Amino acid sequence: MFKRLAPLLIGSLCAAAQASPQMADTQLQALASERYWLLLGHYLPSRLDGWRSYVDDDAFFLADEGATSPTAELQATLDGLYADPAQGNDHVQCKYPARTRWLREQLQLSDLPSPDCGEYRSWYDDINPHATVLVFPDAYLNSPSSMFGHTLLRIDSPDTQASGTTLLTYALNFGAMVENMDNGILYAWKGLAGGYPGQFSLLPYRDKIGEYSRLENRDLWEYQLNLTPEETARMVEHVWELRQVRFDYFFFDENCSYRLLELLEVAKPQLHLTEQFPLTAIPADTVRAVREAGLITDVTYRPSRERELLAQAEPLTSNELDWVTRLAADSAVLKDPDYQAIDSQRQALIQESAYRLIRYQSSGQERDQASADRSYQLLQAINQNPPPKLLIDTPTYPEYGHESRTWQLALGSRDDRAFAEYGLRLAYHDLADNLAGFPLGAQIELGTLNIRQYQGNHWQLEELGLVSIRSLTPRNQLLKPWSWQVATGLERVAGDDDKRRLVPHLNGGGGFSWNPVSDLQTFALATLRVEHHPDADEALSPAAGFNAGLLWRNGLGNLLMETSNDFFTNGEVRRSLKLSQHWELGTDLGLRLRARREFSHRSDPENEVSLQLRWYYY
Amino acid sequence: MKRILLGTVLAAASINAFAAAPGGPSCGWGNMLFEGQSGLPSHLVASITNGTSGNATFGMTSGTNGCDTGGKLTYAGKPMLVLGSIMNELSEDVARGEGEALTTYAVVLGVQPEDRAHFNAVTHAHFNDIFTSADVTAEQVHEATLNLMRQDAVLAKYAA
Repeated sequence: MFKRLAPLLIGSLCAAAQASPQMADTQLQALASERYWLLLGHYLPSRLDGWRSYVDDDAFFLADEGATSPTAELQATLDGLYADPAQGNDHVQCKYPARTRWLREQLQLSDLPSPDCGEYRSWYDDINPHATVLVFPDAYLNSPSSMFGHTLLRIDSPDTQASGTTLLTYALNFGAMVENMDNGILYAWKGLAGGYPGQFSLLPYRDKIGEYSRLENRDLWEYQLNLTPEETARMVEHVWELRQVRFDYFFFDENCSYRLLELLEVAKPQLHLTEQFPLTAIPADTVRAVREAGLITDVTYRPSRERELLAQAEPLTSNELDWVTRLAADSAVLKDPDYQAIDSQRQALIQESAYRLIRYQSSGQERDQASADRSYQLLQAINQNPPPKLLIDTPTYPEYGHESRTWQLALGSRDDRAFAEYGLRLAYHDLADNLAGFPLGAQIELGTLNIRQYQGNHWQLEELGLVSIRSLTPRNQLLKPWSWQVATGLERVAGDDDKRRLVPHLNGGGGFSWNPVSDLQTFALATLRVEHHPDADEALSPAAGFNAGLLWRNGLGNLLMETSNDFFTNGEVRRSLKLSQHWELGTDLGLRLRARREFSHRSDPENEVSLQLRWYYY
Repeated sequence: MKRILLGTVLAAASINAFAAAPGGPSCGWGNMLFEGQSGLPSHLVASITNGTSGNATFGMTSGTNGCDTGGKLTYAGKPMLVLGSIMNELSEDVARGEGEALTTYAVVLGVQPEDRAHFNAVTHAHFNDIFTSADVTAEQVHEATLNLMRQDAVLAKYAA
């Protein structure tokens, strides 16, 4: 307690010297424990006693103990407000406009000096804040880092909506600042472990569109929020205070989405959004929280370049798609008599698709003169014969997809033994789960735990999965993506004497997926696996194999049928055949029938059937 | 996985390129169709941590994202580097006759709502005059647009 009072006393002395208002300690403390002051300092209750700030940057605090003492920081701010106005842009009032406004209102400070805050004013006027839009670049499964999606805010000026000039707005983004280049793996690790500081940045929104829609092929969702112009202004004021200020950045919790929720609370202190995310803040969940708080008035869907290309090419026949690839490779084909013989309306579609294909292919590449020339010639052709406007249906809003965590309860039998299985999954979605709001053929699971209770009250850990990612992206005439998967954790496999053994394993694979008819996806991947099997002679048993199957979207839900085959270097051959049909009972409820047959040299083939209830919550 | 690693390598290259990127029309991200915008191959480092690279960018006035903030044409105080960064989209929209980038361009040029359909039609009809090659720069596009507008009875008042 003394520690907290000491700076206060010193602060009070200074205050006297600078003629800021005299306040009783109790009054000061009461003010410093107001929610809004704590929001402005990004304070959270510390584990032991008192407070600590999420901000990890001494420059943000005016008091030496500012990071842990809201009261000391308040006193120091109060003193600073009365500093010599000749300090100009360095004056506390110029550096902390949100604090200044709040203290001025709370304490009715009518005698504050008026420094000239030119820098802040021109910055603020340039943004001209009026309305706030929450932007959610959808998950993009081919890049594990972006699987969970991301959120940022867009600040619109008063005429943005009416004049259709979204491209002139600013995007407010919170992300890790990477100063020097580490190699990829170190980079990924540091990103997850908090090795990079997080900072806010303000960029033209069109740059963010380019980044997400073109380079990463992620759809953008734009949620118009019903914050008033005053609330938006209050938030932007505070953003200025966070300029160049470093936060800790952690991938799972203290991430972009969490920070943006804090800003929304600054805009509108009646909101209590961050409290809902004590452990993890998955961007889609934060969008859901914003939706539930009643903030969303309108949603705009901005499809990625890849989705536009696929939609544009969708009505084309195989023969026409051939023309698309030929045109994209050589624009001289435009003069080919056979091409010119095609109906001009079809030509319009073909040319447009070819143009989109070239742009797609050159995405992320250095500018290539030949490709640029081809693009230009196709644009000229499009100009002569423009296609009808491309219309793309809006998919299910991501926040209307199932919730991120899952409880599971299954009843089943393995050979002749009945069992109950209790399961929990921390995140997020597997191939057979309720599909609305998710892409078909994408899976990302973190922290799966399954415990079985066999008849006779025999308990057994069935599975402890750390991570399992599957990205099955179909190939077609235009796009030839890879499909891949990776998983690690503990799982039960066949052992000697008909016992099932729990083995730590790591496996992965790469291959192709196809889309022979709509709603059906087939896949085949070559796989590698390494595990530690207690019945094997060696410590680590490697295997090579393959995994193939099909995923069918039917009236009930998804059906997944697949076979896995592992050929171990120690001679063991392990195969399995699995079938699951998921039945979507409601947004957050599903029922799944699972059947599998397992073969191994180590034991007799075993059959298992179970019925599993899956409840998605939180 | 290959894609990811490649992305990282490209990102590494682009950071360095970025630091040295000159201002004006060369400012901006992404793969560029037009010569005037060449320079930045970039799959952003961003993907994992949604981060930004190099200097923290904080809006135009205090921004240090390699963009030259000086420019002749401004809209509501925003320099004309807007054009440089939407050139690709603009060329597509002019070719097709409509779109968000074309609307933005009309607004930046001060074309009033009642004349925007006409602006779209005129630029669409003169795609080849505005975008004369794949090597055209933002300044040339701007200049050609103004010339076109001066010759049009309705649009001339915006190009004085």
